[in-house]
Amino acid sequence: MARTPRATAIIGIGQTDWSGDWRRVRNGEKPADSVGYAAQAFQDALRDSGIPKSDIDGLIVGPTTAYERMGEVLGLNVRWGGQADAVQAILQAQMAIESGYAKVIALVYGNDQRSAGTQYGGPSAMGGQSFLSYVYHSPWGMTSQGALYALTLRRYQHERGLSEADMGQVAVAQRAWATMNDAAIQRKPITVDDYLQSRYVCEPLHVFDYCLVNDGGVALIIADAEYAERMRPDPVYILGTGRSDLNTGATSLEPRLTDYYLPAQQQAGTASYEMAGIGPDDMDVMLAYDSFSVHVPLALEGYGYCDVGGVAQFLTEKGIGPGGALPVNTHGGHLSESYMQGWNHQLEAVRQLRGEAGSRQIPGAQTVHYTSDVAGKCMSVIYGR
Amino acid sequence: MDIAPTPAPVPLVHDIPFWDSVKQKDLKLQRCADCGQFRYPAGPICAECNSEQATWERVSGKGTILSWVVFHKTYLPAYPAPHTVIAVRLDEGPIMISNLEGPEPEGSWIDERVSLRYSTMPDGVVLPRFELDRAAS
Repeated sequence: MARTPRATAIIGIGQTDWSGDWRRVRNGEKPADSVGYAAQAFQDALRDSGIPKSDIDGLIVGPTTAYERMGEVLGLNVRWGGQADAVQAILQAQMAIESGYAKVIALVYGNDQRSAGTQYGGPSAMGGQSFLSYVYHSPWGMTSQGALYALTLRRYQHERGLSEADMGQVAVAQRAWATMNDAAIQRKPITVDDYLQSRYVCEPLHVFDYCLVNDGGVALIIADAEYAERMRPDPVYILGTGRSDLNTGATSLEPRLTDYYLPAQQQAGTASYEMAGIGPDDMDVMLAYDSFSVHVPLALEGYGYCDVGGVAQFLTEKGIGPGGALPVNTHGGHLSESYMQGWNHQLEAVRQLRGEAGSRQIPGAQTVHYTSDVAGKCMSVIYGR
Repeated sequence: MDIAPTPAPVPLVHDIPFWDSVKQKDLKLQRCADCGQFRYPAGPICAECNSEQATWERVSGKGTILSWVVFHKTYLPAYPAPHTVIAVRLDEGPIMISNLEGPEPEGSWIDERVSLRYSTMPDGVVLPRFELDRAAS
């Protein structure tokens, strides 16, 4: 069955107080657990949607909460449900609605990763054995997800001529956007010099290349288009989606070190562009999953925003920050807003398309592209009015 | 003084002969008995030709550095910062993640030729590591 553009739309978004909870956690408080953050975000999204809870007949929870418990807490006995990461959840909701398993699906994510001291490297690395490449090389001291991206970046810089100062433009641009976002945790502007002088965590990655691990929740309500149009004047449609994976050689990092996932990005991008009937030149806003800054140049090349090998020039001459030719991660991304494992990017897409992005609003934004490249999976989602 | 234990390999049943060969300082990788493809990590079938037949073969120990990083944060007690990690493309094909011992190259390490050596960690664990291949031009 062919996928249909505009068959599904987002009608509700919600989140917790990321910066407020960040301050509380730093003061030693424990504002909520993962389920609690998710529930708060759900309440916010339900209010935003204006629909009765009884209309929700599907539920997808993030990877950090148990599905059954989450459904119990929210009081949702649904026709269809499951557990998925951010972008996979969007694709699953789209598939379930298009195939008639559900009509209105709540997507809820909550994570107490900061207050719980979740480790993304070291002896108890998060995700550890479920992602073999994250732990296979620990006898040699190779641990932490950042280190995988540092290895990727070093080779990429060598092959494609991306200097450290070029790289710094990603963190600088996202911080500049974050200064216009009250929800963002880090809002102090930085310069390329600040970046270059900042400490390394795993060289060549600086501390500003790492996401801000934080507690919080995000929720979305996705419905079929007919229902969405009946309930809201401004549904945000899913125009196109695409996915492509590279798993061969994954543990030994082959896809990361030889072609930087490029073929999978190109395939996922093309599938979504064909479905939406538009391409990279038509995008008003680009949002790239950015657990580490490295994702951004890889996505700009992989999804056709610039020539392969041309991203350094693109960053310098076109620009991705305020005033740049292509606004990228206008909420500040994971680097400056909050690390919500890709879920917060979906909120920003909706806000930009509703015209609710405040001083960082891209005037008249009609299309937003979200991309994600994590652990072999490349996914592309195009949202539009 | 306590000696930090070397992080244990993730226990994969197919990898047992690999770690046994390391212990004997005679590194062997799994190789498809049908198409000849080396597998690292070892696995139950050949990703290339689907064969279930495999042998264990000694590798040349020669390779080329694909990439390298320097940890400035300590994650594991056995590896206090700063410590380096390299990705080596073995001449047989697979990529091995390891460490460089001995002299370090000036500037970029990428494309430097390396050869295998065996290191004994303070807790007695033997690890396959690499050093610059001085015989290479």
